[in-house]
Amino acid sequence: MTELIKVQDLKKQYENDEIVTKVLHGVSFSIKQGEFVAIMGPSGSGKSTLMHILGFLDQLTTGKYFFKNNDTSNLSDDQMAEYRNFEIGFVFQAFNLLPRTSVFDNVKLPLTYAKNPGDINDKVKKAIEAVDLTHRTNNLSNQLSGGEKQRVAIARALVNDPALIFADEPTGNLDSKTGGQVMRILQNLNKQGKTIILVTHEKYTAEHARRIIKIRDGLIESDFKVTNHIEINDGDELLK
Amino acid sequence: MIQLLPFATNNMLISTIKTAIQSLLHNKTRSLLTVVGIVIGITSVITVLSAGQAIKGLIIGEIEAFGSNYIQVEVKTPSTNQASVENAFSQVGGATITTLKESDAEEVAKLQNISAYYTAIMGQEIVGYQSEIEKVFLFGTNSDFLKIDTGEIDTGRFFDKEENQSLARVAVIGSKVKDNLFGDNDPIGKSIKIGKEKFTVIGVMKERGASFSLDMDGMIFLPVKTLQKRLLGIDYISFMIMQLVDNNLADQTAEDVIFTMRELHNITDPDRDDFAVTTMDQAMEMLDTIILGMQFLLIMLGSISLIVGGVGIMNIMYVSVTERTFEIGLRKSVGAKSGNILWQFLFEAIIITLIGGIIGIIFGLLLSILISIGAKSQGFDWEFSISIAGIILATSMSTIVGLVFGLYPAKKAAAMNPIQAISHE
Repeated sequence: MTELIKVQDLKKQYENDEIVTKVLHGVSFSIKQGEFVAIMGPSGSGKSTLMHILGFLDQLTTGKYFFKNNDTSNLSDDQMAEYRNFEIGFVFQAFNLLPRTSVFDNVKLPLTYAKNPGDINDKVKKAIEAVDLTHRTNNLSNQLSGGEKQRVAIARALVNDPALIFADEPTGNLDSKTGGQVMRILQNLNKQGKTIILVTHEKYTAEHARRIIKIRDGLIESDFKVTNHIEINDGDELLK
Repeated sequence: MIQLLPFATNNMLISTIKTAIQSLLHNKTRSLLTVVGIVIGITSVITVLSAGQAIKGLIIGEIEAFGSNYIQVEVKTPSTNQASVENAFSQVGGATITTLKESDAEEVAKLQNISAYYTAIMGQEIVGYQSEIEKVFLFGTNSDFLKIDTGEIDTGRFFDKEENQSLARVAVIGSKVKDNLFGDNDPIGKSIKIGKEKFTVIGVMKERGASFSLDMDGMIFLPVKTLQKRLLGIDYISFMIMQLVDNNLADQTAEDVIFTMRELHNITDPDRDDFAVTTMDQAMEMLDTIILGMQFLLIMLGSISLIVGGVGIMNIMYVSVTERTFEIGLRKSVGAKSGNILWQFLFEAIIITLIGGIIGIIFGLLLSILISIGAKSQGFDWEFSISIAGIILATSMSTIVGLVFGLYPAKKAAAMNPIQAISHE
């Protein structure tokens, strides 16, 4: 498998009114294409900051970040926006759908900013189909249940066929059953070859991944393969 | 595709405009209230331009009916400019210039390029016929008046030279005066009382309709000398009109008139001129300047409303940007560049002002039509016209207002950090 992400001695600090807050103290790891990795850590550990940097939402302070073997350590705002558009799909804990907007238009959103969007209708329909929501295509986002909302968010993350999907506490606002459905969809996507990075503070959720990178106090505490990962098959219910 | 705009595809541009329209539709009431200021501004701009054009047409029409081959000589307070406020104030304030005489007119009329002239002095008196009494403007002039003026006799005749010389008590009455004093009766040969003097009505003027200058229908025309001596007890006139043989020589003739007048009045210093000479072309120019000035002033007033409207839009756009911080963050997180966000909000501001502009244009035209109907019912020959320049001006003004006042909030939106924005509640 080829390398998708490689970070070397990545450090991040925030400066606010001369107060310097160091969040990441030098992190190095790599992720290959097709992996399903959970970045796990308690709140304040730096896992969200790491996701923001890897997802081109934020810039690193020092160190190197290679994406598909390209040095992406120092990108401009517009270049970062392009990477977010082509290469990354985000699934957030709070779903983050546009209110009073149809499922179709929500899923279409990333294509709006694509340089070569191609057949928009076809792509949006396929993405909605991939999360089993074809019957909800024309519903407004506020007419959906929590689980459906998160599936719309996954469809939106998929629509541009990105190299990498970030799921930031994707089951955090869901009950165990619908959370299980969401994890199943992510696992299915991974089986189809998508690289997925799951960011969570829960051990149980992290164990749905094949590999766990534990972060604590801005450093990697451990990085290991999950030997008995939780596999949800179609029709299974997640039991907490 | 214009490279200035950060839209790689038409799809992106259309979506941006669509998004802008959708967000305006989500807040219909607010959007409508926001455009009120713009609507008022544009309505007034359109109305002012349309009315200005109509007034100009009206005045030019009156002047053209009168003809352009004339020179007017009128009294002026020395050391002031004829068209100046000082001159107007000094005359309104009671400074009567008594130096312009009938004899001046006779001398000036000897100039080669002058074919005819009339002199004029005006007064006001109580006029009575049997039990009917009315206060009427009196217009004293000479027998050549009708050669130059556009007025026409309806019945009877105008007075002649002898009647002027002999201070005859004869009167030619305007159509309105006839209606008020005589009703349907024939006034010719009847005796009316002007002040304490008895006059015989020898003619009635044709109705002329409403006018921007004097209400000629409401006047009584008397021989100038009769009016001076018998009613006013004066020996001066206030202006005279000289008809030219060749209008191409108007400027030269005006110079000659000035020269002659200075000789007659023993004036060596032009600053001491107690008269002013105006050709019709100059009068037209003066009118043009006045109308333009008026229009400019009114458009400036309309512009204040546009600026107030613009500030309203800026305010609403700020609220909108704050309310939609999450949306901005989300759009950025899925790949929107700062430029996309900037233009989304700019388009919203421009669309809202353009809608205001279009409503304003419609209201302005409706108002202009109403004014035109009202003016016509009052007897004015008021031509309603759509000012294309006005519409272009209004449209570009509202677009510029949208751009200028939308820019700041849009920049604020574009500069947002996606992480902070998306976690904004």
